[in-house]
Amino acid sequence: MSAPRWLRGFRAILFKEFLTIFRDRTTLFFMFFPPLLQIIAFGFALDNDVKHMALAVYDEDRTEESRALVAAFVNTRTFRVVREVASVAELTATIRRGQAYAGLQIPPDFTRNRRAGRPAAVQVLVDGSNSTTALQALNTALGVAFQKSVGILLAETGRTTVPVEVRPQVLFNPELRAPNFFVPGVIGTALQIATVFAAAMSVVRERERGTLENLLVSPLSRAGLMLGKLVPYLCISLTMATGLFLILRGVFQVPIAGAVPALFLAALLYIFALISLGLLISTKAQTQNAALQMSMTIMLPSIFFSGFIFPRETLPGIFYAISTVLPATYFIELMRAIVLRGATWADNAPALLILAAMGLALFTLCALRFPRKVT
Amino acid sequence: MAMIECDRLTKRFGHFTAVDRVSFAVEKQSIFGFLGPNGSGKSTVIRMLCGILQPSGGTARIAGRDVVRETETIKGLLGYMSQRFSLYEELTVDENLSFYARLYGLRGAAERQRRAELIALTHLEPYRQRRAGLLSGGWKQRLAMACALVHQPPVLFLDEPTAGIDPVARRELWDLLFDLSSRGVTLFVTTHYMDEAERCSHVGYLYLSRLIVCGEPDALKQLPAVNPPGARRLEVTCDHVTVGLPAVRRLPGVRAATVFGQSMHLLVDATVGEAELRACLREVQIHHADIRPIAPSLEDVFVTLTSQSHTERAA
Repeated sequence: MSAPRWLRGFRAILFKEFLTIFRDRTTLFFMFFPPLLQIIAFGFALDNDVKHMALAVYDEDRTEESRALVAAFVNTRTFRVVREVASVAELTATIRRGQAYAGLQIPPDFTRNRRAGRPAAVQVLVDGSNSTTALQALNTALGVAFQKSVGILLAETGRTTVPVEVRPQVLFNPELRAPNFFVPGVIGTALQIATVFAAAMSVVRERERGTLENLLVSPLSRAGLMLGKLVPYLCISLTMATGLFLILRGVFQVPIAGAVPALFLAALLYIFALISLGLLISTKAQTQNAALQMSMTIMLPSIFFSGFIFPRETLPGIFYAISTVLPATYFIELMRAIVLRGATWADNAPALLILAAMGLALFTLCALRFPRKVT
Repeated sequence: MAMIECDRLTKRFGHFTAVDRVSFAVEKQSIFGFLGPNGSGKSTVIRMLCGILQPSGGTARIAGRDVVRETETIKGLLGYMSQRFSLYEELTVDENLSFYARLYGLRGAAERQRRAELIALTHLEPYRQRRAGLLSGGWKQRLAMACALVHQPPVLFLDEPTAGIDPVARRELWDLLFDLSSRGVTLFVTTHYMDEAERCSHVGYLYLSRLIVCGEPDALKQLPAVNPPGARRLEVTCDHVTVGLPAVRRLPGVRAATVFGQSMHLLVDATVGEAELRACLREVQIHHADIRPIAPSLEDVFVTLTSQSHTERAA
């Protein structure tokens, strides 16, 4: 059985690529290790739900009521008391040195004012250098005060219910676990780095070594070369995607609400686009170093603008525009939709189609630019 | 029948002309030695002949097929061994051969049989399972040659196949080339070594993008430009040749003088006699010298023609 003319040499390249990949353990290691590291690191470390924040307390009142207030702060589980201080100066110094994120100062007349029915003020100092922790400390402190006040008012008026009650119900991620939000996104960026770079390298290395010249002299067809490079990396990256899905489910206990086949279709289309991008880079890059730089230039925006960490809606116009042309944007969106929201095929169709179109466009562009002659 | 033909083949890169109107023909079964300094355009000519570089002008044919219009056809007619070792170092000898055989459409039994033939031809049997990257220079070149021959091409291009390998490996590689030539393969070899040029049936010399001479080595040595009328070439063997050389060069009528081991090669006016040379050498305390007439070497041919071409272009 002989291959059609347009596919000549495809099976030879396929044979050689698989041999090379499994022979070259370093490449294989560098394809698999960074994504694994990334998913583990992000899954465990990236948690913007801050618990047990360090709190310094300057209690000048020293009554049962002031101690109850401190206990109310601690009971939110947002705070833990790391130090009792004896002056305002010491309170601010503790925060300045980074030993506490927040400081609580209860004035000596706190209980007296409370009992007399006068407003009883307490001071909360918050370290604003980290906006995430500051915001949470602030909200929690206000919440504590609000709850205390409502309790007191209810007791004074003799009512048992509050006039307006909000009953929130959090859908899809009821415990608001950070891994549920981050890990599906990490899969997008982790796949990207390894796949784009490995595909670009596999061609650029041939150019550097001079083997590309031998391939050009042979009757190998352009499609044969491109598909011969595409298929092995598609297999490897899909294997990796499977591994990452298993980690998502098994290690981080994120339930997959949607259809698993949709998950794999999204991964397949995404990887196809990534490899095409890698091959496109290889048509331009003359050295492995240049390939590395070009890959990084394309990948960095995906980290920031794909909605992986910051919501895309908050991006200024130009960056939002960039985000719309990144394959990672659509893949991460799909991951969250399928894994967390259990989105249906119809819900996912637009993003899946966009990913498929991106892959086809990149592959076509690459086919047009792929070398037939040396330059 | 001419297996390789170029007619005013030209390659320009921007304003730089890398190959300037080069014309020559290589007959079937001959070994064509292509010489010239680095950067003279040798590899560029080969790349155009192999169909992987678009010529800017002129035409080239392999076995009568135009390299531009019939690129796909000529790919089956030629083998190409590029300048540096360019095989897959992490694959074994067998795997490299297998890959190239498959690339040229061989499968199954045909592929195994061709592999066995090439292993036998290049004596690579003991190294079949060794990774290509671990072979020594000479064996790497044999493997590269075997890979270039998988599809039994009638024309084989070798770009500096012996650069950087030891003399024994070099000799063996040439034996292999003669073997191929005897089987009817036309060989096109670039080299920097004059002794290799002398082994070729035909040689061409490329200088500053132009082919300044082309022909059989013996015919080139008979060229009038190399053997100017009223002059003869002498070999003077004596002690302390490096002391004798400057003395002889000062002698009127000595046109050129250079050292070869224990002797000097001179190009002198016919009027300069042996007695005159001996007298000159005695002045620098050299009392014994053997003097005999010699034919020009290929190096003499290339040196003479290069300086001539230089003068012509300067004028």
